[in-house]
Amino acid sequence: MYRLAAKRLLPALGRRNSHFLSSSSGVRALADFINPPRFTTSAASETVSSQNPLNNDSFASSSSTVRSEEERSRAHDETQRSRSPTRPKAHWQEEQARVLHASLRHVIRLGWTDAAMIAGARDVGMSPAIVGSFPRKEAALVEFFMDDCLQRLIEVIDTKEDLQNLIPSHRVAKLVRIRLEMQAPYISKWPQALSIQAQPLNIPTSFKQRAMLVDEIWHAADEEAADIDWYVKRTVLGGIYSTTELYMLTDTSPDFQDTWAFLDGRVRDAFDLKKTVQEVKYLAEAVGAGIGGSLPGFMKKVFNG
Amino acid sequence: MATALRSIARSLRKNNIQPLCNSRSFLHSHATSFGFKEVREEEKSQMVGNVFTSVSSSYDLMNDVMSGGLHRLWKDRLVSKLNPFPGMKHLDVAGGTGDVAFRILENINSVKNRAMLDVHDDNLLEETKIYICDINPNMLNVGKKRAEERGFGDNKSLIWLEGDAEALKFEDDSMDGYTIAFGIRNVTHIEKALAEAYRVLKRGGRFLCLELSHVELPVFKELYDYYSFSVIPALGELVAGDRESYQYLVESIRRFPSQEKFASMIAGARFQKVEYENLVGGVVSIHSGVKF
Repeated sequence: MYRLAAKRLLPALGRRNSHFLSSSSGVRALADFINPPRFTTSAASETVSSQNPLNNDSFASSSSTVRSEEERSRAHDETQRSRSPTRPKAHWQEEQARVLHASLRHVIRLGWTDAAMIAGARDVGMSPAIVGSFPRKEAALVEFFMDDCLQRLIEVIDTKEDLQNLIPSHRVAKLVRIRLEMQAPYISKWPQALSIQAQPLNIPTSFKQRAMLVDEIWHAADEEAADIDWYVKRTVLGGIYSTTELYMLTDTSPDFQDTWAFLDGRVRDAFDLKKTVQEVKYLAEAVGAGIGGSLPGFMKKVFNG
Repeated sequence: MATALRSIARSLRKNNIQPLCNSRSFLHSHATSFGFKEVREEEKSQMVGNVFTSVSSSYDLMNDVMSGGLHRLWKDRLVSKLNPFPGMKHLDVAGGTGDVAFRILENINSVKNRAMLDVHDDNLLEETKIYICDINPNMLNVGKKRAEERGFGDNKSLIWLEGDAEALKFEDDSMDGYTIAFGIRNVTHIEKALAEAYRVLKRGGRFLCLELSHVELPVFKELYDYYSFSVIPALGELVAGDRESYQYLVESIRRFPSQEKFASMIAGARFQKVEYENLVGGVVSIHSGVKF
């Protein structure tokens, strides 16, 4: 599944990097999990981190690095494939993804639990013993779901034409809504998922997944905007997304009408704030220009007089 | 650790019994290792047999004394990594005394697991089968006795079988899990045992191996070596009244492949997602792999 995610993400990184800054380490991590090592080693305490393929702060990097890394990783991938033709076709990551995908069907009944994963494994004809090979079992399921939703969201962004006709604030609201609607079927079990994500061991991954999601939405919302600080924008949207997500948990209105009204309100607030900040900036500039203009004049007067 | 000894005894005794194994050993070489010494295979089996006979009475006690009780935690860790589930078909090789099997059964029967059972999965618990396979009938008897003491006497989930890790009497793709604790080191042909494990496992089934391994941490290594070569034989003399046996044990640990090497052997047996975890800095390690 990560291979798939990486394939999606790499081009996404490539097209995005014109206005984002970051290091190339994230990209290397991506390349690493495209070509996972044959076996991993782990000391007792680090079992988790060593197998967590989403440990990439992959927001972007300078365009050249991304492209070259991407090409290199692809080339590497190919050479690896040609080097070991006997390698079984069913790669363990793909098999694990299949199990997780089948498990999602059981989540509504069994929750984000071992039991759902065991049922999922049975569905795809795997021994349920495979569940034991997932690091941080239930978290793996939630994280898979998050990745899956992100992919679907990216597909929506890439294919939906009418999104382009909306103004940025509506586009943001629409995308957040599309994303949240994806977890609507699981709403009764979503608090459990949130609690799993909030466990100390799982926080790094869930935080990164949210960061990637918010990033994707902002990117789709306004291509060229670089006016307010990059981090502020993402933090604000992250806040909106999370509060709406929580609001949704207790929303009993049909089709979550209240939630979407709430979401629209928060997005409007944010854009108003943005406008306010903009206005303050203009005012400051005007005042600055005024002072700048008047001060020399004043000084001239003083010295001349 | 004494498990190690008796499984050596087992595998070698088997060699004596089975003409096939003997002919195989003729093909290779008559000489084999007994600790650091090179001896003839027949001699070795005799020697290991003696070793085993002399320590069997204090076997459990010595396990606790040598590891300071840690072997219990290691086995717990092994089982928690296995993540047993109701309805599981599990094979525990070289598990004569049932240490691992009891833990698996207790884990499956625990409240947590019962709670997550489906409504229509009521008979799943009865479907659970844990096969305990050991080459040595004496060890199986010890295990059966302990099962009775623990109240598992009439438990239908536990099935005691005499068998060789290199030639399992199970069908292909029949097991969900395979564990071998302190046993693989004593199997004559490790590759063969791994191939058998791969054969009997279902797709998605897991192989887990708990084994005494190699310590690489600088200072700890010196301490561990001192403990192994000076303290353990002395303990053996004191507790089991047999110094030679435990001298042999610590030597045989040193002859086992390193963690990396063993991991690549597992990968060589076509297992995927091969990982290992060192416990206590490598005194023991848990290797795992998945069959796809």
